[in-house]
Amino acid sequence: MIVLGDVLNYGGTPNEEQLRLINDETGGIQKMFPDYFVGFCYLNPNLGEKAVMEEVTRCVTNYGSKGIKLEIANSADEPCMRHVAKACREFNIPVLQHSWSNTNFRSGMETHSDPDDTTLFARRNPDVNIIMAHLVGIGYRGVIAAKGLDNIYVDISGAYPEDGLIEYAVEHLGSDHVLYGTDIPIRQSEVKIGAVLGAKLTNADRQKIFYDNTAKLLNLN
Amino acid sequence: MLIDTNVNLGSWPFTFAPNRTPAQLTKHLAASGITHAIVSHFGAAFQPEPTPSNRELLAATKKSKTLTPLPVINLRLANWRDQLAECVAAKVSAVKLLPTYNNYSLSDKVVGEFMTALNETKLRLVISMRYEDERHRYFALDMKGLPLADLKLFLKRNPKAHVLLSGIMIPEVNELAKKFKNFSIEISFCEWINSVEDLVKLLTAKRIMLGTCTPLLSTRGEVDKLRLSKITPKASQQISSTNAQQFFNL
Repeated sequence: MIVLGDVLNYGGTPNEEQLRLINDETGGIQKMFPDYFVGFCYLNPNLGEKAVMEEVTRCVTNYGSKGIKLEIANSADEPCMRHVAKACREFNIPVLQHSWSNTNFRSGMETHSDPDDTTLFARRNPDVNIIMAHLVGIGYRGVIAAKGLDNIYVDISGAYPEDGLIEYAVEHLGSDHVLYGTDIPIRQSEVKIGAVLGAKLTNADRQKIFYDNTAKLLNLN
Repeated sequence: MLIDTNVNLGSWPFTFAPNRTPAQLTKHLAASGITHAIVSHFGAAFQPEPTPSNRELLAATKKSKTLTPLPVINLRLANWRDQLAECVAAKVSAVKLLPTYNNYSLSDKVVGEFMTALNETKLRLVISMRYEDERHRYFALDMKGLPLADLKLFLKRNPKAHVLLSGIMIPEVNELAKKFKNFSIEISFCEWINSVEDLVKLLTAKRIMLGTCTPLLSTRGEVDKLRLSKITPKASQQISSTNAQQFFNL
């Protein structure tokens, strides 16, 4: 299970010290159950290249972080994302980008990364693997935006389990590009697992979604 | 026995949700272990008046042993008494309100008149809070959830009417539970970690029913939320079937 500390504990734009506290919390959880939890390094790309590279280096060195996690500090189409791409290349790790379709954005949600923003980042950095979070949040237009981009994966975490969307993602992106996810504790694993088990998929597709794709992406084996 | 209190026939225009026949719907529900369902028709949310879709619903479920009709009354229309009379004639056990989709407020004067009329029929009442989470619904349907202030006013004005709230979210349940006991809920839009366990602590199992919001949400996912919850066998039975049997007089 990929685990994160309380990433929004200090709001959407944490400073360097706050990031370290959050990532130390993640590392602490990892160390409790090292065979079960995999940690991602949480970043605020607005802090600049030096801060980004130092924190990723610290997380990978101290905790063996397997990826980078981005929330809502900035949109994925902004120039500061080049620092994230550099860190991904240097450490050969993917980035998990919070994303949501801006057709439902309210005021103040401009940094939630519309699928067009996240896929633009993917096109700018074809050698970086990107997990576009929240399949239901990005919706059908998110799947369409990601179609044909080999370095994009979508996870099914977050939101209510809209029926048919997992099948749509598998049809258009391929089952190799869909990942199981929950958003625990604000969502429930039983619902997400049930949504995959109830979807019209082959058992081979389910195996990929539940385990194989993520294991391959994070070099877990 | 597993009774689903939030199932729908008809088309939802903003998704690819299948418009199943009654037989297809029964088969789909059975695949997730659901043995009986309380069914409404999406047409009541989108068409100018609900009578045609109510009639289609009644006809579709007439010979079914597993689908119980839950017609909608649109109180925004002058003919709501005729709509209600048709439901009474059809011997349904309950009716449903869709205030937001039908463009009225629970604080409107007509709601009081309706409650007086409903009380004379002995029918039970279901109030729909929403069919979709507004955060990820299709942009062409700019529909908010039912305002909680209106619902509070309704519950305060109608202390003896125990209603079933459909499509309610956990924060809304938490807010209502502070002051009111004259409502039950179905769980389709209640999701947090340990949802059912926490709701049982808050409301008691007696006031909770299974609901899946089929075909918009994953039926299996919603059923597993209840099936895999860590509650007592008695509580599980109440939520799975007993409460719905009593409420809908099944």
